[in-house]
Amino acid sequence: MGVISRVVTWARIKSPWVLHFNTGACNACDIEIVAALTPRYDIERFGAQLKGTPRHADVLLCSGPVTRQIEDRLVRIYRQMPEPKFVIAVGTCACSGGVFQDCYNVKSGIDAVIPVSAYVPGCPASPKALINAIVKLLKSLEESEAKKNAKAV
Amino acid sequence: MHDSHEFKIPFGPQHPALKEPEGFSIALKGEKIMGVEVRLGYNHRGIEKACESKTYIQAMYLVERVCGICSHSHSTCFIQAVEEIAGLVVPKRALYLRTLVGELERIHSHLLWLGVAGHEIGFDTLLMYSWRDREVVMDILAKITGNRVNYGMNTIGGVRRDIFPLDAQAVLKDVDILEERTKYYIELALKETTIIKRLSGVGVVSHEDAIKLGAVGPTARASGIARDTRKDDPYAAYGELKFDVITSDKNDVYGRTIVRVLELMESYKIIRQVIQNLPEGPITVKAPRKIPAGEAISRYEAPRGEDVHYVKSNGTEKPERVKMRAPTLANVQAVKHMLKDRYLADMPIVIAAIDPCFSCTDRLIWVEDVNSKKYDVMNWGTLHAYSVDWHRQHGINFSKLNQELAKKMERA
Amino acid sequence: MVKEENMKQEIIRQLNVPEDKIRIVRERRISLEADYAVFGKILDFAVKQLRFDYLCAITGLDDGDRLSFIYELAQGDGIMLSLKTSVPKSHPVLKTVTPYFLCADVYERELVDLFGAQVEGLPEGNRYPLTDDWPKDQFPLRKDWTPDLLK
Repeated sequence: MGVISRVVTWARIKSPWVLHFNTGACNACDIEIVAALTPRYDIERFGAQLKGTPRHADVLLCSGPVTRQIEDRLVRIYRQMPEPKFVIAVGTCACSGGVFQDCYNVKSGIDAVIPVSAYVPGCPASPKALINAIVKLLKSLEESEAKKNAKAV
Repeated sequence: MHDSHEFKIPFGPQHPALKEPEGFSIALKGEKIMGVEVRLGYNHRGIEKACESKTYIQAMYLVERVCGICSHSHSTCFIQAVEEIAGLVVPKRALYLRTLVGELERIHSHLLWLGVAGHEIGFDTLLMYSWRDREVVMDILAKITGNRVNYGMNTIGGVRRDIFPLDAQAVLKDVDILEERTKYYIELALKETTIIKRLSGVGVVSHEDAIKLGAVGPTARASGIARDTRKDDPYAAYGELKFDVITSDKNDVYGRTIVRVLELMESYKIIRQVIQNLPEGPITVKAPRKIPAGEAISRYEAPRGEDVHYVKSNGTEKPERVKMRAPTLANVQAVKHMLKDRYLADMPIVIAAIDPCFSCTDRLIWVEDVNSKKYDVMNWGTLHAYSVDWHRQHGINFSKLNQELAKKMERA
Repeated sequence: MVKEENMKQEIIRQLNVPEDKIRIVRERRISLEADYAVFGKILDFAVKQLRFDYLCAITGLDDGDRLSFIYELAQGDGIMLSLKTSVPKSHPVLKTVTPYFLCADVYERELVDLFGAQVEGLPEGNRYPLTDDWPKDQFPLRKDWTPDLLK
């Protein structure tokens, strides 16, 4: 069990599979997420790959405030992701609801519905900030893995 | 990613219990779409109502975020209505600067579209290539407005930032670079047989139907309707600028592609005129916090088509009513028409071709097979893969073009 | 503003619209107020005789005991005609204009969802933009509605 979990984590650190989900965003953050894939930012050099299905995703990139329509589906997608899983709230709206906080169809930020591992503010969050967040997440994973190994010894 | 084995859409045996509240519902007969229902509203946030409890400036920042791709369009359209009600005469320099940001937005949006369209037909390298060019525009926008997106350029009565002469000159140089690169896209569109074959005869809307359906923007112009708010109902600086309205008589996705790449060239023309003739003077005029009672309707040619805002004021510092009709909503009926009696495999590019302002990649597609009465829910990724695969089997293969463009990128 | 003036005069002449109900707001903007009883006739004239072949938007407004609607029409010359009308809030019945403008479909559904308008003749279709589980008699864009009513 321990060996498998270490292999899985190693694989995840080397190459996180990322799912992008828009929960009612204006598309600005979504475009910046896709821009992170393009040559100038090239998130793939960190091994991160965009995947189409929650069942294969390690990291969920969520953009947008949570609208009434999308809430159930967000929860379902989160549940479909295998453990361990991480959620990155991309953009101010995902962090807190942003400018849409007072809007009747908006619940608030992502963390009102599912647990969030990292918050990337910005309106929109720039590709650089996003890459920073993913790298930090990977580093913290590495460090917690190292701590676990240290304990085991 | 996919082998050349036949890609079948799996149909479930039963009616799945959950139907998603938004997305597309398709009645499928064999490989053809018999009918489409579109359910929108996933990103209905309640912005119009929220505007009624915000000051005009607060409302403007909210309105700017209706859509992150054409944020300046919404912001300007809104502020124009407010300025009309208040009887403000916006300084010419401000109008020119608004026009500059507006055209830069059009360029970034069309390049974005080019990449998305490329991706949808399997020409993925085009996404990398065109978005790399798009970064030139993003840099200009960040330099002159302070942000890549959501520029916050407007205020009531003008613009918030002026442009330094050095930056203005730098913009001209960048426009020269972009124009050179756009010539390559035009060549691709006009000469590459794979692209022409793939996009022609797809998503057809006749001229008469486009009028009846109320289509706007490049979608309408590709069906020969010379409708462009910049010419029909000039705003900002457009009344003083020389440019052409680009139309095509192809009536299909290919026509919409041609219109957009040629519109890029017009945008470069406009930007050069704006910078070379930038009037001296203030960039803003004093505006009251309480806007006198009145109403106005403002129109703006966003990259996707005509944006319409109605504002009613009541003498206080908060609007009485704000109504926004974004361009994509006007094209929804046209999309249903375009998909009827067409191949399912054409759906991704047809929808992409209206350049929708809703994030398509998350919409689920509910498919009912008319013959077997079975249902399934597809996500966009599955539909995309099916589409690319289907066309590959029908002789349209972008692997050669992908390789050529990848080599070109390495050399550049 | 010759075109606008000519158009105004023709509307007054052909439709017996009182002069104080039609206004040239500015270049390319004409505004007309009419009772709903004659709205259909005016719309028909505007589309067929004045060639307003394009419906930009339908704006709903809460005017206390009435619901007002502004149909924004446009034509190739860029002239916009704002057709304003209203119906009692207690009986907010409108006839669909989809026979003239197919795109009105989604605009009218918006009036139904957000103002509680009842649009006769709307073809079957999905609601827009609210969710299916939205409370039945809550219309967000009416002035007396506040978000806390949702809970």
